[in-house]
Amino acid sequence: MILIGENLQILSKVVSAALKERDEKPLQELAIKQANAGADYIDLNVGPARKDPDVMKWLAGVIQEAVNKPLSLDTTNPIAMEAGLSVCKIPPLINSASGKQESKEKMLPLAAKYNCDVVVSVLIDAGIPTDSSTRAEAIMETVAYANEIGIPNERIWVDPIMMPISVDQPQVVELFEFMKILQDICPGAKSTLGLSNLSNGAPEHLRGILNRICLVMLERYNCFSAIVDSFDTELVSLMRGGLQDVKDLIYRAMDEELNISGLPKKEADIVKTVNVLMGRNLYSHSWLES
Amino acid sequence: MQSTDFFEPYKGDVKEVAIGSEGKTVKIGGEKTLPFHGFEGAEGGPVKFALEVFDAPPEGWPEHLRSSYADVLGNPVAWADKCVKQFGADIISLYLASLDNDNFDAAKIAENVKKIADQVSVPLVVMGIGDKDKDAKAFVEIAKVCKGKNLLLGPLVKENYEEIAKAALEGGHGIIPQSPLDINLCKELNVKLTKFFPKEKMAIDPLSAAIGYGIDYSFSIMERVKQVAVIHNDEMMKMPMVANIGKDCWKTKEAKEDKTQGILWEAITAFTLILSGANLVILRHPESLKLVKKLIS
Repeated sequence: MILIGENLQILSKVVSAALKERDEKPLQELAIKQANAGADYIDLNVGPARKDPDVMKWLAGVIQEAVNKPLSLDTTNPIAMEAGLSVCKIPPLINSASGKQESKEKMLPLAAKYNCDVVVSVLIDAGIPTDSSTRAEAIMETVAYANEIGIPNERIWVDPIMMPISVDQPQVVELFEFMKILQDICPGAKSTLGLSNLSNGAPEHLRGILNRICLVMLERYNCFSAIVDSFDTELVSLMRGGLQDVKDLIYRAMDEELNISGLPKKEADIVKTVNVLMGRNLYSHSWLES
Repeated sequence: MQSTDFFEPYKGDVKEVAIGSEGKTVKIGGEKTLPFHGFEGAEGGPVKFALEVFDAPPEGWPEHLRSSYADVLGNPVAWADKCVKQFGADIISLYLASLDNDNFDAAKIAENVKKIADQVSVPLVVMGIGDKDKDAKAFVEIAKVCKGKNLLLGPLVKENYEEIAKAALEGGHGIIPQSPLDINLCKELNVKLTKFFPKEKMAIDPLSAAIGYGIDYSFSIMERVKQVAVIHNDEMMKMPMVANIGKDCWKTKEAKEDKTQGILWEAITAFTLILSGANLVILRHPESLKLVKKLIS
């Protein structure tokens, strides 16, 4: 599993202040910490950067001085994106393009021009698709367009768009279904998604267990990569061959409904979480208590 | 071979909840199937209807609503009596309009509730005004003064459920937890309540809205609550459902401007939410009650 570290992002106060001040030190430190924690890519999320499109160029420059990892340039602004692309020494990842007309016209061509990988989400002008088959329909069209302008499937990282489970639980199940069929509809394509959005709105101390278990499930459905919290050590460990007993239990709980009576709390919590993610039990913020 | 050979019984059910003290108990819920799917499983008791009575004379009612109760508006016992004997209400839903007054006297309100509960021949639902603090203050007192009368108190929301539920438990009453049109939050409140409150004494209100004012959301959520209970056997969602619609219907301009339109507004809102699984429907106009009863019988 390729892990893209999400921690360098504009919503963080430290990051947003450092970007504004062009203060490279805290940003470089954050990148180094993520690389040391096990991130394969460092995501540089500068937001839409409407007033300050040069920020991506500056940021990509200072981060690649600090870490020898490929970057994931994360902005919806094609001008900022191209500015960033122009300075990257290691081919970066464009994060992201979509099936929206504007993105097809302005963002996707950058992947062809700079010969790099690109995240393509299932988003289209009509919005985020609401089930696995409309996701498939949307992505097939966008991918066909990308192919036409010279981007092969192998350079496309499909993003099925993770929704918060507390907002729309059935969408999580639909996303799994989509991941199962992705290789049939886009052979050779890679995949990635913003994992933490799953637990957005869930109680803070329970976000980790949701994220971790979901990622193990996604890995089993051949998800290629995810944008994650680099500092969740348990999560990184699970993706690097550790905690095999936890993984085994998750797989068993996916394959059959396990009886939780008599299980130690830690294991029961894992099974309950799998049941909620699989849509077997209705989600509530207190899913571990019922 | 019979058609029933093809049916698999549902795993889940809806709990039966009894309201009212001995001798005048009414039960709601108890079904082992989806609404009107009697061919798939036991239907439980029929939907029950409550008419609203105010503990202080209502304000802002249109004449075509007011006229049905003109002779009893200042006398809750007589009003309730009329609803039962003349209009056929199974239950009385007493609305604590007196809480609108900032200087309300909780003890006095509670004594009044007791008097009404004693004199009326059917069980009582007691509804607060939706102000979390005022409701809690009144319900704590009511629960104590009316001990043993098995009232159904509501709404309980996430900000005041603990206080009210504890008082209800001590006084031997049932409760109506209410969630803001969100099935996950509905379950959340149930999970928290059932840690100390028996689910056999709960009827839930996923929040009902009137036609034209969001009934589609109410319908979808109530429908799903019922499915999660009956089909998926979710222990935390097996409470019967309450649709408290009089209040929402009669504040619409459509209901206020014309009698026929108002009655239809309320009756069809009620009918729609009964289809989605409501077990207890609280109405305001006697003629809409009559119309809905006719429609489902």
